[in-house]
Amino acid sequence: MIERNEILAGIKKLPAFSSTVVRLSSLVSDPDAGAGEFEAVVQPDPALTANLLRMANSAYFGLSRRIGSAREAITLLGVRRVFELGAMAAVDAVVPDTLPGYGIDASVFWSHSVAVAVIAERLSKERKLATPALTFTAGLLHDVGKLVISSFLADRVEALRSELASGELSLIACEQKLLGADHAQIGAELGAVWNLPEAVVRVMASHHAPEVVEQGRGDVLVDLVHAADCLAHSMGFGADVGGMLRHVDDAAIARLGLRHLDLEHVASRALPEIEGLSQFRSPKKGTSA
Amino acid sequence: MSLITVDIADLKTSADPDAVIVTYALGSCIAVIIYDSVRKVGGMIHYMLPMSETSPEKAKDRPAMFADTGIPLLFHTMYEMGCKKPDLVVKAAGGGALYDDHGHFAIGQRNYTSLRKMFWKAGVLIAAEDVGGSKSRTVRLFLATGRCTINSVGEETEL
Repeated sequence: MIERNEILAGIKKLPAFSSTVVRLSSLVSDPDAGAGEFEAVVQPDPALTANLLRMANSAYFGLSRRIGSAREAITLLGVRRVFELGAMAAVDAVVPDTLPGYGIDASVFWSHSVAVAVIAERLSKERKLATPALTFTAGLLHDVGKLVISSFLADRVEALRSELASGELSLIACEQKLLGADHAQIGAELGAVWNLPEAVVRVMASHHAPEVVEQGRGDVLVDLVHAADCLAHSMGFGADVGGMLRHVDDAAIARLGLRHLDLEHVASRALPEIEGLSQFRSPKKGTSA
Repeated sequence: MSLITVDIADLKTSADPDAVIVTYALGSCIAVIIYDSVRKVGGMIHYMLPMSETSPEKAKDRPAMFADTGIPLLFHTMYEMGCKKPDLVVKAAGGGALYDDHGHFAIGQRNYTSLRKMFWKAGVLIAAEDVGGSKSRTVRLFLATGRCTINSVGEETEL
């Protein structure tokens, strides 16, 4: 078991999350906010602006001319896409090189996060839902609790492996058994410390156990990220020590009305986008297979 | 030794006896591994989905994404390299599943069914397979010998 003060110390050890991106996340959900307000928040942050321009000018977007300012990026790519790129830069900046407790390095964590973000948006479109503005970001951030508890799990690697080998418990249930806490719970604490929007914090807390919120209805964002997380693992994005020991929540899938053909259609469409966006990690960091 | 990586929805072949063909992190996806021991030619596909009818336009773009377009392409590529069907040893790995009581995510199972149907029709025998369960798998094919290994959570087994 780990003590609460150990968790809080672990949270403090992580770099701070970009406050610019937190401010943008409230703007992006505000229908009255325009591109000008958006630009006014981005502009004073040179690191974020540089990252945005690096991504916007990549071959992935295939723009015909070089973008030189946040304003141009917003005009050409749109507010929502620029915000999503900003969120990617912000997550990239806080992911350590390895997550020893999960037996993965940053590139696997990163591609899983990007995959869940892309798939959550596409599942929503597939079902013609009104996609919440924070869908991509919630997908991107859903697992950041792992950044905190990875080192605690690493201290119990033998016990973790034998629990997983028995095949009786899912990975998150193993975390709970060995640590008395899991990455969803701790992710929610981290989200609160980082001042992330409540909707995103709810996804961090509940993405493994989506609940009915009111009268048979769920939290659409939680349901979407849960389904996207399952599909990303099926596709092989995020293969860690837990393999595929993860539960599909039938009720959440039913609430979204997803059939297997929807899932397969989304998987086929999402793959090129996941591959493209996964390359947007900061060049200073290493990559590995 | 040269390492040839097969990405998701990708296939590779090689006639270099020093080469190792590898694919990482098979979840519900399936790898079909083919080796011609006479010519020491090997090939591998890492397909993601059973049927191209899900996205015909993607199948044109990336036939190796689907079992029904990718697996025939792998065989044809090997025939073009001079391989003969009776000399081919065919193996399969992957097709894992999440805990999924209602089978919403039975992509691994559908991937496997699709493969079995195709092999049945074409008269292809599977020499060895490691399919299903909750494992994530990494597969290697050593072209010098035709040896094939599976790595899952730090453990290596022969296929």
